[in-house]
Amino acid sequence: MPSIIEFQSICKNFKISLKNKGVWGSFLGLFKRKYKTIEALQNVSFSIEEGDIVGYIGPNGAGKSTTIKIMCGILTPTSGTCQIAGFVPWKDRKKYVQHIGVVFGQRSQLWWDVPVIESFELLKDIYKIEESAYKETLQLLDKTLNLSPLFHVPLRQLSLGQKMKCELAGALLHKPKILFLDEPTIGLDAVTKLAVRDFIKYINKEWKTTIILTTHDMNDIDALTNKIILIGKGKVLYNGSFSVLKNKYARTKTITVEFAKEYKTIQIEGYRVLEHNKNVATLQNEPTTEFHTQHFIEEVCKKYEIVDFSVSSISVDEILAQLYKEYEL
Amino acid sequence: MLYQKYVKMHIKSSMQYRLNTVFLSFSQAVVAVSELLAVYVLFQTFTTVGTWTFYDSLLMFGVVTTVFSFCECFFRGYDSFAEIVQSGELDRLFIRPVNIHYQILGAKMEFSKLGKFFVGVVVSIIAVCKLSITWSIWKVLVLLGMFVCGVVVILSLMILGAGMSIYTIENLEFINIFTAGSKDLAYYPINIYQKWLSRLFTYVIPVACFNYLPLTYLVGGGTLLPWVYALSPCFGMLIMIPCVLFFNFSLKKYQGTGT
Repeated sequence: MPSIIEFQSICKNFKISLKNKGVWGSFLGLFKRKYKTIEALQNVSFSIEEGDIVGYIGPNGAGKSTTIKIMCGILTPTSGTCQIAGFVPWKDRKKYVQHIGVVFGQRSQLWWDVPVIESFELLKDIYKIEESAYKETLQLLDKTLNLSPLFHVPLRQLSLGQKMKCELAGALLHKPKILFLDEPTIGLDAVTKLAVRDFIKYINKEWKTTIILTTHDMNDIDALTNKIILIGKGKVLYNGSFSVLKNKYARTKTITVEFAKEYKTIQIEGYRVLEHNKNVATLQNEPTTEFHTQHFIEEVCKKYEIVDFSVSSISVDEILAQLYKEYEL
Repeated sequence: MLYQKYVKMHIKSSMQYRLNTVFLSFSQAVVAVSELLAVYVLFQTFTTVGTWTFYDSLLMFGVVTTVFSFCECFFRGYDSFAEIVQSGELDRLFIRPVNIHYQILGAKMEFSKLGKFFVGVVVSIIAVCKLSITWSIWKVLVLLGMFVCGVVVILSLMILGAGMSIYTIENLEFINIFTAGSKDLAYYPINIYQKWLSRLFTYVIPVACFNYLPLTYLVGGGTLLPWVYALSPCFGMLIMIPCVLFFNFSLKKYQGTGT
């Protein structure tokens, strides 16, 4: 697969003017300002292949939206080169944006007071989509997202989930090669979240759309992406398959044990007690101990009488929390 | 055409708040009429201001009101550009395969200003009928030129303000000194004001190019050659060039710095 997005040592500096304190200070600020340079992105390089679903993750203020804005052609980088679908995004803007679709989770691209279908028709004209192609695409989107009941309702009367479905459809009407999703599942209920995820997967499979997704919802990452790029403090910290990362951390297991009676203290070699309440305790294996079920049961039963136990792997959220901690973000 | 679609969408949007739009329109008209009364009362006392009679001022009032309300209605995107920057909508404009200026024109419209527009047009027609002008084809063209130049000048000031708001992310009341200020100033002949003020509103902000100067051509008089007065609207329109250049420069800057 050829790479569709090529990011090479992109740097982006922002000059921030420092505000002086007080009324007098802000008055002086009109004439003389001090600036501080913030390096939002430092030598960011990565490439994304056609048809990939990539999770672009990192804590708040890591440089995610700056990267997305550069990829969309909204911002020009301070240095570095970038090629997307054969274009340099910030040059040749009008031709380039024909190939991308963007959904900003918290900002709408559709008209607030007008029935949704009219917004779609305006987009049709903006992107110069042919009538037949438009109809076909709309039909497909309607089929997968069940949109037609919403077509004639003004956007303001839709629920958050319905809005997000419409936003997705609006961003895809011109069949972009690349789709940027900025927090697409934020605030959605469980059912809608699943529907949105299914839809993203479907579009990726059906149209071979390359999808770049920023999110704080780790289940999104788990369910959708085959690759993640972790960014922190303006640098790429990890770039690769998510399952590799998961396996690395999956060695840690959390075991909840129910005992037959209440023990004062619980000590099992190689395990640490996370929580102990009456006759239930939560344990975790030390990094040096490999979890082995039979071995674990034998160890426990030597000293205690147990009723039940369950084992769970570390959650995706915890993996990320550990990652952030490791990189001191 | 895409622009027509934008207009249609805005009409449909404001139709959602029909009563509100009607009332706003009406109140805008009332405001315009009350401003007109102020001019009328002045002429009850003085009969002439400078070289102008009531009907000269009335025509100016008509032109200025028409031009302003037209700009406020259709160029709302520039007028409240700070909102577009603040809400992040500017980013959205960058990701559409359409010229940015075209999109700003389409982004916002305020139809309630048409109430004022209507008053302006009616007043202009009355004034033109009452003024004793010997009409020729050139005079008709100059009269039309006044309106066109007026629209271009006000639009240019709005674009200038929009460009500035990229730096400040606030709507600058500062620019209103020139837009609103020039409005009240324009009802009376510009040569009655202090020299520096009349120069400012002739050469820097060419308000005089769509009122005092061309009106002098219409009603006769003046010390310069007639064609200077006749062509003044064309000179006035040149202000558009630096304003648009400044705006485009600011937009480039925005792409470099973000917010």
